[in-house]
Amino acid sequence: MQNAKDSFYMALRTRLTTINPNRTILLRGAVRPGILVEEAEAPFSQLPDDVFILRWLGLGVDVDLASTMAAEQCEVIYQTCGTQSFGGLDRGRALSAMDEELMGMIQPSFTPKLNYTSTLPAAMLTHVFWDGPVISPIAIQRDRLSRTASVTIYSYQEQGE
Amino acid sequence: MSSTWFAAPAPVMQRVRAYFAPVNRAAQTPVLFDPSEQSGFNLDAPPAPWIGLGWILDFVRKPASKSAPLLTGIPASPLEQVRETLQAQVSLQFLSWTKLTMALATGSQHMNVLAPASDATPAADGAQAATAVTVQTGSTATSILLASSDAAKFSPGGIVAVDVDNTGQTGFVGTGISGAYVKQALTDVDYIRRVTFNVALIAQVNSTGLTLAEPLPGGAPATGAKAQTAVAFVDREGGSFYQEWSALFVMQASQGERIFFYYPRLQTMSGAEEVVNPLNGKNPAGQSRVLLKGQFLALPVTDPLDGERVVCYRSFQPAANALV
Repeated sequence: MQNAKDSFYMALRTRLTTINPNRTILLRGAVRPGILVEEAEAPFSQLPDDVFILRWLGLGVDVDLASTMAAEQCEVIYQTCGTQSFGGLDRGRALSAMDEELMGMIQPSFTPKLNYTSTLPAAMLTHVFWDGPVISPIAIQRDRLSRTASVTIYSYQEQGE
Repeated sequence: MSSTWFAAPAPVMQRVRAYFAPVNRAAQTPVLFDPSEQSGFNLDAPPAPWIGLGWILDFVRKPASKSAPLLTGIPASPLEQVRETLQAQVSLQFLSWTKLTMALATGSQHMNVLAPASDATPAADGAQAATAVTVQTGSTATSILLASSDAAKFSPGGIVAVDVDNTGQTGFVGTGISGAYVKQALTDVDYIRRVTFNVALIAQVNSTGLTLAEPLPGGAPATGAKAQTAVAFVDREGGSFYQEWSALFVMQASQGERIFFYYPRLQTMSGAEEVVNPLNGKNPAGQSRVLLKGQFLALPVTDPLDGERVVCYRSFQPAANALV
């Protein structure tokens, strides 16, 4: 199942670099695309603004199939205060921009499954695929707007997983 | 050692895509879909002459063929089965309103409402049309060459209908795609342009003619073709003409596998019908989407492979590395 999670994250990350190469984050001394997996980073006291954060939650498994299918729930969290140059008055626009980037990242709704445990990712036999997102209303905390999109990611377990 | 195969469960997919291609009505020749040569096509760019009609909803196949046991003995018991009737039906909902989807979802001729001549007498199909202009030789499916004075009669964003004059032809009419069957000669010189499928949106107008935003479905204008502005489309409940098209429905599944349903001959079997779907299921009185509902009867063809009469071919292209 970890391969499916990794593949989903890497697919979104790759697509984000095409959709908006300027959305980046300085993390652990490196500038990276502005998308990260919460469980793979040090705990945040406050989630960073203007990046996409993947949070893995639920898990379901259907073993009555020719290949076991796993369904993993992922929340994509993103928030913004707008930009300093506009005094934060553009926070609605900034969130809309992230909405559009998210819509671009999740289409098409599949990606090849790869094993990222080796330095050179190894292609596996199946694809990871997912449903359209269930998007929450905007949550407002003072000048910070945030939103969560819930996506269910499906994958087939392959031999050796 | 890593595995080189996997056992694929039933395909998982979201929606179905529809492609249609015109049957040559005069020659009774459907358009072929060959799964050995065409199954890998780009779903956004189907092989000619297939026309992509996008995603569809509520795609339902209903086999209506009947078999009966051949009884023998006392008491009678089945000796074998025989096929008594061969029939199948298809229903679906189109997610867009276009000339083609409207035509497919209506049981009769589908007509272009031509821009009227000044002071023309009103008519339910559109009044007498403004005079058509001559299309010049060298025109293509996307470029209509006109005299500069004629080109000035069109505007970007308008719709143009291109086909020949009606000079008393009978039989199937319409360039490339049959739009109607004329039983006896008609007097309206614009009739063929009223029923033609050769319509498109005008992207640009210049002194040499029109550039179209999409190719004319019936192909390049025929010799002697003329062009007129269309302002709308109209169809009728009733009439004796049945649309007949070859159809291909594609289910693209999650692992790259594809299921194709190829109907060589589909005839529209019901009148125009719409389905109204609220955009917000929790607010049925709110904004609603109006979908065109199509219902079709599959007609048989004789498979040259073995002479069997069939109405549909279902092909399955398995996922890569999947056990078969």
